[in-house]
Amino acid sequence: MRQWPRLSGRVPWRGLAVALLTLPGATLIIALLENNVGLPNASAAYLVAVVAVALVSGPIGAAVAAVLAALLYDFLFTEPYFTLTISDPDDWLNVILLLFVGVVVGQLAARQRLRAEQAIVREREARALFQISRSLATRSSTAPVLADIAQVLAANTHLDRVWLTLTADGRDRSVADTGSGLPPDARFHSVLRRTPGDAPAEWLRVHDTTRAQTGSESPPREARGAMYKVRIEVGDRSLGSIWGWRERRDDDPDRTERRLLAAAADQIGQALTQDALATQAQAAEVARQSDALKSSLLQAVSHDLRTPLATIRTAAGTLRPESGLASEERKESAEAIEREVEYLDRLVTNLLDLGRIEAGALRPELDAFDLEDLVDRSVARLRSRLEGRLLALDLEGSPVLVDPVFVDEAIGNLLDNSIRYAPPAATIRLTSQDLPEDGYVRLTIEDSGPGVAEADLDRIFEKFYRGAAGGSTRVGTGVGLAVVRGLVEATGGRVTARRSDLGGLAVDLDLPRARLPTELADPT
Amino acid sequence: MRSRRPATAGARVLVVEDDDETRTVLVRELTTRGYLVEETATGRAALERWEAHRPDVVLLDLGLPDLDGLQVIRRIRRDALTPIVILSGRFAEQEKVAALDAGADDYVTKPFGVDELNARLRVALRHAAGPEAVGEGELRAGPLVLDVPRHQVRVDGVHVDLTPREFEILRVMLMNQGRLMTKGRLLRAVWGEAYQAEHSYVYVHVSQLRRKLAAADPEGRLRGLIVTEPGVGYRVAEDMETETLDKP
Repeated sequence: MRQWPRLSGRVPWRGLAVALLTLPGATLIIALLENNVGLPNASAAYLVAVVAVALVSGPIGAAVAAVLAALLYDFLFTEPYFTLTISDPDDWLNVILLLFVGVVVGQLAARQRLRAEQAIVREREARALFQISRSLATRSSTAPVLADIAQVLAANTHLDRVWLTLTADGRDRSVADTGSGLPPDARFHSVLRRTPGDAPAEWLRVHDTTRAQTGSESPPREARGAMYKVRIEVGDRSLGSIWGWRERRDDDPDRTERRLLAAAADQIGQALTQDALATQAQAAEVARQSDALKSSLLQAVSHDLRTPLATIRTAAGTLRPESGLASEERKESAEAIEREVEYLDRLVTNLLDLGRIEAGALRPELDAFDLEDLVDRSVARLRSRLEGRLLALDLEGSPVLVDPVFVDEAIGNLLDNSIRYAPPAATIRLTSQDLPEDGYVRLTIEDSGPGVAEADLDRIFEKFYRGAAGGSTRVGTGVGLAVVRGLVEATGGRVTARRSDLGGLAVDLDLPRARLPTELADPT
Repeated sequence: MRSRRPATAGARVLVVEDDDETRTVLVRELTTRGYLVEETATGRAALERWEAHRPDVVLLDLGLPDLDGLQVIRRIRRDALTPIVILSGRFAEQEKVAALDAGADDYVTKPFGVDELNARLRVALRHAAGPEAVGEGELRAGPLVLDVPRHQVRVDGVHVDLTPREFEILRVMLMNQGRLMTKGRLLRAVWGEAYQAEHSYVYVHVSQLRRKLAAADPEGRLRGLIVTEPGVGYRVAEDMETETLDKP
């Protein structure tokens, strides 16, 4: 944003330049008009020059220009020429009129100009404040918009650098800065002293060098320029400060700029207070949801743990010698126990994984693997449960850099899911290929089962979401896919679900491609 | 297929497991399979028994009440190469890898099947029985022949061009069939004790080796030769027919 001239409009050298151009110009025109054309009095041409000077340099310049114009006319165009004496009374009148009209017109023009400037400055102030309010009103949290606010403040004041610090744990931390590096060391330090009510805020010079602590030990630097600080306060609490620095300290930020800085500080203060309240509210909401989680967990667990436990207990009873079962039936009982134990193992693993995901306690151990190796293991574990379902594998693509245990659990859960929902004789397909546009390898696990309604695709990775698919009495606790997402994301991947062209659900696991050392120090 | 006598008959196993139920089941199962079983529930008792009786193999649960499983492994390794098979819980990946690096030979993850446990014990005992094959002759795995003195590898009699490192990896693996080779152990065996290389080097070489073997074996008989144990290392398939011949 362009820097605007300051309200005072004091630009003497520019006024002088205009005067040096326009006064001789006007003199030339008058000479032409009076000598060649024959007009008796063309002194009004000087008024044009006076107005021009008034517009660029304000009332004082205008007055000076008016006096100069009168003197010039007296000197050049009244007899006797080239003296300041005037013989003709008519010329006296002309010169006095020129002086009078020149001063009045000059003052009027200058005032008009000042009003226009004021209007522009007010509009700019209003616009800057509006920008600040808007960025604060549309924010999701305050911190990210502070950089914008610092920019707005720097653009609308004569400060060369603006930065913001927020106070946390008794320390000031720089959160937004229009410049870079350490804050400059200024020779002059001022704090905006704000008084309650309508009294205007004033700069209070301070002598100690209270500075923003961005770095601990900064080397001694040459102190230059002036530094200004506006505290961000709500009630008695100081939340931080707006800092400004100006390289040339010709004068302090003026009334308008002070007002803008103070208003910005107030708005930021309020926004920060709102943030704090929102955080509190969120914490309460999290606590509430966590309770809800626990109760749905208990519900899920009470059903899904008890059913297999009952099966195991019954089956174990049939294994007793006195039960008198045939060995074929005993074998079936033993298999039932193994199946249920497997199910319980997965359930408990998932619940524990979910706990670790929720707690953010997953620490991936990344290493390079061929997807085939990871898939083979998961498939081998579940092969006995396929029961006629067709398993198609087509794996290609680069090695991946993942935590093998996380990915193994994720694939295991997805296969388990497919087996559970897809009817016998369904097809389960695992394919993989590189995603050329980014550094991922996509592993897709899909089936020809009933799938998931389009509208629910986004929700299946949520905790305790259970597919609406009927039939099976045991559809799982709804933690499996949430665990898949948690594990895959923890190892740097992405998970998405879509409809498979096999008819059922397709889940894409995008896993980061491994970048391997190319030089292997292997003499051949 | 296998001409070897079962190494398990009469082998003495020390079972160190603090959970009474698990230990009881283990002892019963192993006794049924012909092992001579001793049992303890703590690390200290385990070390005492080990000092007193020097069992043939130790089955060690990592989560003991008194000593850290790693301490037990290091103590045993100070004196002997007695094979140690660890029982590790899930969520104990790091612990497991640390135990393997400290000198444990293999692991089974709880809950495990008895067949799996038995297979691990058998492999551990076999490698402990007698000096390790010195690798002077030829090592075989199915259609693969590794000729140690000539530094040559043939599949169905056709020469496979391997780099010295790939050859070394394959040799070490064939000499340790059925056994778990952590990446750290492979690094030390192939690159030498002092070599501080990235584990991903091992991966790169092993996958290159696999690719070359797959190209020489279109029927895919060698596909299951080197099995990845994710997060741990590699295992050479045990049931592939391998044998050591002395140089004629």
